[in-house]
Amino acid sequence: MNTKHILSIMVDNEPGVLARVVGLFSGRGYNIESLSVSEVDSDKFLSRVTVVTSGTKIIVDQIKAQLKKLIPVHDLVDITELDSFIGKELILIKLNVKSIKKKSFEDVVHKSKVNILFDKGNEVIIQFSGSPSEIRNLLKKLKPFKLIEQTRSGLVSMALGTKYIKK
Amino acid sequence: MMKITGAKVVIETLIQENVEVMFGYPGGAVLPIYDEIFKQKKIRHILVRHEQAAVHAAEGYARSTGKVGVVLVTSGPGATNTVTGLTDAMMDSIPIVCISGQVPTHMIGNDAFQEADIVGITRPCTKHNYLVKDVTKLAGVIHSAFNICINGRPGPVLVDIPKDIQTFKTIYKGKKAYKNNHYYKPKVKPDEEKINEIVELLTKSSKPIFYVGGGVINSGNKASKELFKLIKRTGFPCTQTLMGLGAFPTSDNQFVGMLGMHGTYEANHSMHKSDLLLCVGARFDDRITGKVSGFSPKSRKVHMDIDASSFNKSVNVDLTVQGDLYKILSAINNKIEERKILFSKNKIKQWWLQINKWRSRNCLKYKNSREIIKPQYALERLNKLTEKQNPFITTEVGQHQMWAAQFLSFNKPKHWMTSGGLGTMGYGLPAAMGVQIAHPKDLVIDVAGEASILMNIQEMSTIKQYKLPVKIFILNNHYMGMVKQWQELLHGNRLSESYMDSLPDFVKLAESFGASGIQVLKPNDLDEAIREMISIKGPVICDVVVDPDENCFPMIPSGSTHDQMLLGPNDKVDGEISEEGMVLV
Repeated sequence: MNTKHILSIMVDNEPGVLARVVGLFSGRGYNIESLSVSEVDSDKFLSRVTVVTSGTKIIVDQIKAQLKKLIPVHDLVDITELDSFIGKELILIKLNVKSIKKKSFEDVVHKSKVNILFDKGNEVIIQFSGSPSEIRNLLKKLKPFKLIEQTRSGLVSMALGTKYIKK
Repeated sequence: MMKITGAKVVIETLIQENVEVMFGYPGGAVLPIYDEIFKQKKIRHILVRHEQAAVHAAEGYARSTGKVGVVLVTSGPGATNTVTGLTDAMMDSIPIVCISGQVPTHMIGNDAFQEADIVGITRPCTKHNYLVKDVTKLAGVIHSAFNICINGRPGPVLVDIPKDIQTFKTIYKGKKAYKNNHYYKPKVKPDEEKINEIVELLTKSSKPIFYVGGGVINSGNKASKELFKLIKRTGFPCTQTLMGLGAFPTSDNQFVGMLGMHGTYEANHSMHKSDLLLCVGARFDDRITGKVSGFSPKSRKVHMDIDASSFNKSVNVDLTVQGDLYKILSAINNKIEERKILFSKNKIKQWWLQINKWRSRNCLKYKNSREIIKPQYALERLNKLTEKQNPFITTEVGQHQMWAAQFLSFNKPKHWMTSGGLGTMGYGLPAAMGVQIAHPKDLVIDVAGEASILMNIQEMSTIKQYKLPVKIFILNNHYMGMVKQWQELLHGNRLSESYMDSLPDFVKLAESFGASGIQVLKPNDLDEAIREMISIKGPVICDVVVDPDENCFPMIPSGSTHDQMLLGPNDKVDGEISEEGMVLV
């Protein structure tokens, strides 16, 4: 049975490290549902990569074992295997909101804790962060308005507690 | 401290890593390093005739010594030519450091002359690779490369050095000053409770089998000794993979032959019926398992390996033990001694009776002839007439390789060099060069096919230059034999492009490179030819013209299980080979 896994990978922030991670997935035919990466420790030059992947237990175990073999990988945690964790994603949405619909749009914005980043004429850019299902719900609510484009950060995630963090 | 150039740093670091030999080919982007090679006497440079051969030679050197093989090539085509060799070393876990030149840093990405993104190209076929853009980091990178390539599961590491970095100056402080600049600590010590579990399983099994792979050889001769001790004290049967041959002596009665696609009847049936499968440093490769769903269905499976990613990759096992095999095997032996366990012969008596029944099928038998040389016979004679000299054997890839694995004896580790994982035709000749460089006084034989040998035949020139007395034993059947065998079996005997037309006269070819050439056509002349070959001090090509109709048996056809073997040309596949089987290679 395929299950979804959030892998948090600490890597050396060096050129090509992302290519190593991504190349491993494509070369071995594994699935990447979302990917997010940024430096998180500028003293130790460490980046944190969050990959959402899915597969059977055997495949996911294999993905983890292969990732751990990459030399720049310091640590890998399967967040989904921990007791409780938080997963959030950021989305920016550009909409064309005709003035007659402005009222109902403001209603959605108000109820969904959406930030308006830009609002001029018909063009509106909003920002929202939440779990993947919250984002899905928001997009559903925004259906009546003309969605021009959207961009998403990919999931970032952390578990509760400190036990899983390697010193 | 005095500042030295990056090129000099390369040489200094290699000297500190105890490198004695490197295999390479110069070019524009490595000229500063070659200049430093010219100025020193500690490292011997072997000039090959093609960069692929440099890597295979380094592999042969590494596999026969346990040391790191070192390669030096230029940018662009020099570097891309190493890709097959690097992939080969990756698949067979051979420690190689490959240093490539690169266009100067400011030209990178510009499509400069002889530029190739070799770090990008070799990312999936190296254990790790580096592009060095800062001369102060060069020494640390090279020392790390050596550390990474040989520790844990070995593999190739490439270090790409732009030409300007080779000319910039820096201070070199000696190996100890460079901390390994990476977090890389493979687990080598096995968990104690797992050792207890294994010992427990050993005592309970009545149908055990040791399934031994190349990991034991990589772990070193100490691991082979521990394995020998364990197999002897348990009395259990042992089979070995193509990569494992020699880890346990193949002449020993407890050895039941190689397993897998062209393995013996008794080895494969023992795997199939076993109740305890002890995998020691092998990886359940598809050549071994056959159809995975029917693989050794009734056994508890224990997998001992240094590489955790080998666990449960294709076959689910019951117990995994990660660590260095020497440490694992000696821990098992110690535990057995500590607990004063004696293994009863009675418990496995029935098992051995069964195995000996399978053995009595004599699955490697073939019909000999007085008229034409059978390839199997040629290898039997080669084995007989060279056994005492304990030769190093390399092979190319194909039927001759499988026959060599079946008919030669390997009683010591590190004497058998063959391209197992990648199956690289053209591997054997350069590998034999590397072996001969490491063991100048020993007998080194490349068992070849007439098709494979042509893939790196240019190395005859290297052999001439360095006076390497390599013996090339060609089983010449005028076909890409394994391709032909599969075409017969799966494609209605339509021998598409597998006939080797326009072959050279191998005797003249040998002579043109200052080597001796022998051709044998009749079985009666074979012994004399082999004797002559090994008595000649220099390199020899022995062209043995063999029966083109002979195929390699036993065979597990694609998509079949260990108990569905073809034993000879009269055996037919039960029904059609499944579509699932047809697409497998």
